[in-house]
Amino acid sequence: MAYWFELAATGLITGGIYALVALGLNLQYGLMRIMNISHGEFLMLGAYLTWLGYTVLQANPLVFLPVVALVLFAIGVGVYWLCFRRIIRTAPAVEVIEARSLLVGFGLMFLVQNLAYLAWGADLRGYSFLTEAIDVGGARLMTNRLVLFAFAVGASLALLAILRWTLIGKAVRAMMQSPIGAQLVGIDTRFLHPVVFGAGLALAGVAGALLSMVYEISPGMGEPYTITALIVIVLGGLGSAVGCLLGGFLLGLVETFGMHFTNPSLKMLLSYAVLIAVLLARPKGLFAK
Amino acid sequence: MKLRDSIFATLAAAFVLATMPWLLSDFALSLTLTCLMYAGLAVSWAMFCGATNYLSLATAAFFGLGAYITAWGAEGLPYGLAVMLGGLAAAAFAAVIGAAVLHLRGAYFAVITFGLAELVRHAVTYFEKAFQGTVGRVIAEPPEATTIYHTVLLLSAAAVIAALAVRASRLGLALRGIGADEERAQTLGVNARRAKIAAFALSAFFAGALGAAMAVRWTYIDPPTVFNPFIGFQTVLIAMVGGAHTVIGPIASSVLFSLLTEFLRLQFPYLFLILLGLLLILLVLYLPGGLASLISRWRLAERVGAGLLRWRKSDA
Repeated sequence: MAYWFELAATGLITGGIYALVALGLNLQYGLMRIMNISHGEFLMLGAYLTWLGYTVLQANPLVFLPVVALVLFAIGVGVYWLCFRRIIRTAPAVEVIEARSLLVGFGLMFLVQNLAYLAWGADLRGYSFLTEAIDVGGARLMTNRLVLFAFAVGASLALLAILRWTLIGKAVRAMMQSPIGAQLVGIDTRFLHPVVFGAGLALAGVAGALLSMVYEISPGMGEPYTITALIVIVLGGLGSAVGCLLGGFLLGLVETFGMHFTNPSLKMLLSYAVLIAVLLARPKGLFAK
Repeated sequence: MKLRDSIFATLAAAFVLATMPWLLSDFALSLTLTCLMYAGLAVSWAMFCGATNYLSLATAAFFGLGAYITAWGAEGLPYGLAVMLGGLAAAAFAAVIGAAVLHLRGAYFAVITFGLAELVRHAVTYFEKAFQGTVGRVIAEPPEATTIYHTVLLLSAAAVIAALAVRASRLGLALRGIGADEERAQTLGVNARRAKIAAFALSAFFAGALGAAMAVRWTYIDPPTVFNPFIGFQTVLIAMVGGAHTVIGPIASSVLFSLLTEFLRLQFPYLFLILLGLLLILLVLYLPGGLASLISRWRLAERVGAGLLRWRKSDA
């Protein structure tokens, strides 16, 4: 029994971080049709910032979290102003925005990833933080993983609350439902777009900072997370924040239990099979009405 | 240019290029081979995706499937036949997945084609490991370099000619109609499903055949090499940087990319990719029609200039 509990807990912990990574990307796509394929690279930047904070300033990673979020938010606003603003203004159709922002995303991916290689080299880096194991209902779990889970779920829920109950969240939801309608009732895209893009990157940065407490980091670490985020978004439905959270947990559980019953080398095969099955059967996401 | 003239120009260029194995050094020849491969891939990608505005990332799957046909048939199967079979296998695969996923559009289509490419890669990896007990395969007796070069040249030229012919045909018109507005095209009597599947399979044929032809160049092939998603990305980048709605654009930018890759990548690997990223961003932002739009801009300027001249003359 404890064994199954441990397995489920591992799946949920993985799923929580997947959900957090995917939320930022989903927000950007849902609002602006920007499929930012370099999302994982900004996650990597968040991880490196935290690592630098820990090794150079001896800063507690959890205390450092808001700093990472703010820095990534600023980077996000800058990237939006430099790259995506022009695309959204000049593109004649939604599909063109998607295609062009995908290409710019590739460009950013090459740029950021290789700048990181230049700055820090290809070595794996890491630090140990809260590594003692504790007992939870018979299952032994690492403290840092539990902290990671708590923060990932906390950040996701906070975002959901902001979207649900604040004025700016209402504006974001209105914008997702109908961009033109939202503009007609006075919602300012020039303000909302950069803020949401920045928030997306801030979420990626927080996810990276949390991951750096548990795993070793390298400049190439972001790419797999981008792909996982894409899968989670498709599971939950493009533009749906609640779906994203559930999709993340689902994928984490499917991966963990799937690997347990079959074979660890089938992990990626499983995720892609889930992705394709969902896209074929329910292209609007599992939880679409 | 008329269709006949452009086909003639393609054939003439192919004939000139066919003499290269006797004129160029080994290094320059292999560079030309890379150029040709990317030109073929980018042109065949743009044949479907440029016209319809579908963003397919499945090129790596077609390419890798072709390569594995060559590898599996390495003993006994003649090279030419392996190339044909590689192309046909990729086309059949594209037709099957096309029938299943071509109703999706935009980002969904991009994500699912990428997922399919990765799924095929992982499936082949698993199949080889579990049932064949190997990770990769060695191609013991590769054909001569000249044979490979001529095969790739032939395929790329065929891809260009096919792209030109499709553009001039009813199928090309249907594809452009789908790209502009799919529902309107259907209302006007275009069988969108059939047109999309046919064009998707045709473009996959060339990617698969090129994969089968290039596989022998590596002597050792394994799934991470031939199903490398970078092949798919690079094809898309080349085609879009060149101008995906044209034929000449992808050709021009494949030359540019191959040269850049060859000369910068080895010396400054990180700097090269940083530059590539910057270049890509700047091109998308300031030249969204691709390199080919430079030509049309220049033509427009020329026409305006000529008009001004005529106006001046009539004035005088």
